[in-house]
Amino acid sequence: MRTRPLGETGQESTVMTFGAIALNWLEQEGADQMVELVLDRGINHFDVAPTYGDAELKLAPKLGEYREEIFLGCKTQERDYDGAREKLEASLDRLEVDHIDLYQVHGLEYESELDEITREGGALAAFRDAKDEGLVDHIGLTSHGNPQLILDAIDRIDDLETLMFPMNPVVAGKEGPDHDYAAVLERASEEGIGTLGIKAFAKGPWPEDLSEDERPYANWYEPVDTPEETRERFDFALSQGLSSVINAGDPKLVAMALDAAERFEGEMDDPAQRSLIERLRHAESPVPEQLHH
Amino acid sequence: MVPTTVSTALADRPVAGTVCLEAGAGTGNTTAGLLAAGADRVYALTDDPEHARLVADRFADAGDRLATVEADLRECPLADDSVELITAHALCNLLEPVALEAVAAELTRVAAPGAHLLVDDYAPPPEDAAVGRLFAVENAAASLATGRPALTFYPSSVLRAAFSAHGWTVDRELTLLDPVPWTASHIEAHAEAVRSAAASLSPTSREALLAELEGVLDDIEPESVGEMYGLAMRY
Repeated sequence: MRTRPLGETGQESTVMTFGAIALNWLEQEGADQMVELVLDRGINHFDVAPTYGDAELKLAPKLGEYREEIFLGCKTQERDYDGAREKLEASLDRLEVDHIDLYQVHGLEYESELDEITREGGALAAFRDAKDEGLVDHIGLTSHGNPQLILDAIDRIDDLETLMFPMNPVVAGKEGPDHDYAAVLERASEEGIGTLGIKAFAKGPWPEDLSEDERPYANWYEPVDTPEETRERFDFALSQGLSSVINAGDPKLVAMALDAAERFEGEMDDPAQRSLIERLRHAESPVPEQLHH
Repeated sequence: MVPTTVSTALADRPVAGTVCLEAGAGTGNTTAGLLAAGADRVYALTDDPEHARLVADRFADAGDRLATVEADLRECPLADDSVELITAHALCNLLEPVALEAVAAELTRVAAPGAHLLVDDYAPPPEDAAVGRLFAVENAAASLATGRPALTFYPSSVLRAAFSAHGWTVDRELTLLDPVPWTASHIEAHAEAVRSAAASLSPTSREALLAELEGVLDDIEPESVGEMYGLAMRY
């Protein structure tokens, strides 16, 4: 599988990162098989979090076996020093490892949280101390939030090395600063920050009339679930300039994402990218009646 | 929202501060692009009263930057040499050859010396495109109802030639979409055009066309096929 530099971390990540949240929905034996599968297909970057049920625990056995082959990303939603330190130690424990390659601020949503993590006694101070101790190699941040907030984070965190944020043709087709993740990609590229794409396979919210237990996938959004759409979405996301794209969380969809990643041959050209954006733009708003593109 | 086709086509044109004509305004997508790109004034011209109302409502806050004009493009109510940039976005496929010629002449008449013209349109769909069957039914219905086809897909070379004959020179061509996504809503919109045209026909013709339409709709699904190109010209 192809690799791309993860910013200036020195890591060459495979174009697909394994979102280990998928392990949460598997028994241990199935989890072990899935880790073997993704490693067998060449994936070298894993991402996990303590909030993904027991994914950390289920990852641990195979992680122990293949630790040197895996660039391990983990994250915390704690915003203060003590909380972040505690969660980091808990993750090291649960994952049964002595260090985490990439430790990320998880799910930044508000400016106030950016204030919290950057202040003295904030989570980033704990990250830096852990880095000095060799418990963490690189510092990153993840967000589903406003692109402007992520840009502010780039400005305010000098040692930020990676970012994880949504990228798909539905988002790319929307106008205005609230969806301008392209600006984030541009800044990240200028600053040598690695970029990890999430929600690449999101089709949209689940239909309102579908109860949670009727949903065919564990994702909180409805994912695309055909090989063709999965490939299109993967190629589109990677064609925006991301370092790597993370699979949809449901374990049933992982093999399809792996297949898309393996087949990735080069970036989609602009007319094909626009074609995808336009197809989804109309799917979202079929009114007013529209004959043309 | 401005479609990427429009924003891409406008990206290398000097829209800011110019007087523009959107020829065939539709629901105002290109008007949106022109206003967003800083056009000084946009004449959004359409012969469809419903579209004219829709565009006027959509850009009610544009003030005197926008004039929605309900008129036939073959008799454009603008003065000679009065427009600096003209957009014909997905317009020409709605013009049969005779109308295309008349519209090209009128757009040329209102264009100021040095004006820019954008002609974005669909290449003829490939022969095996399923949507081609739908377009054929639409043309049959329109031909019976009005004596004219609804859709004519011109290769870019034909539109280049049509405008070159009036003194325009092409200074770039690009591919806006490849493939062109014909979505469920596009299919439904074209099916509705068939139903609308069929409504004015005799019961026998109407029923035959609607039966044909239903057969086509049963067979086809949304597909991405064909190409949309963008020509930029100077006068």
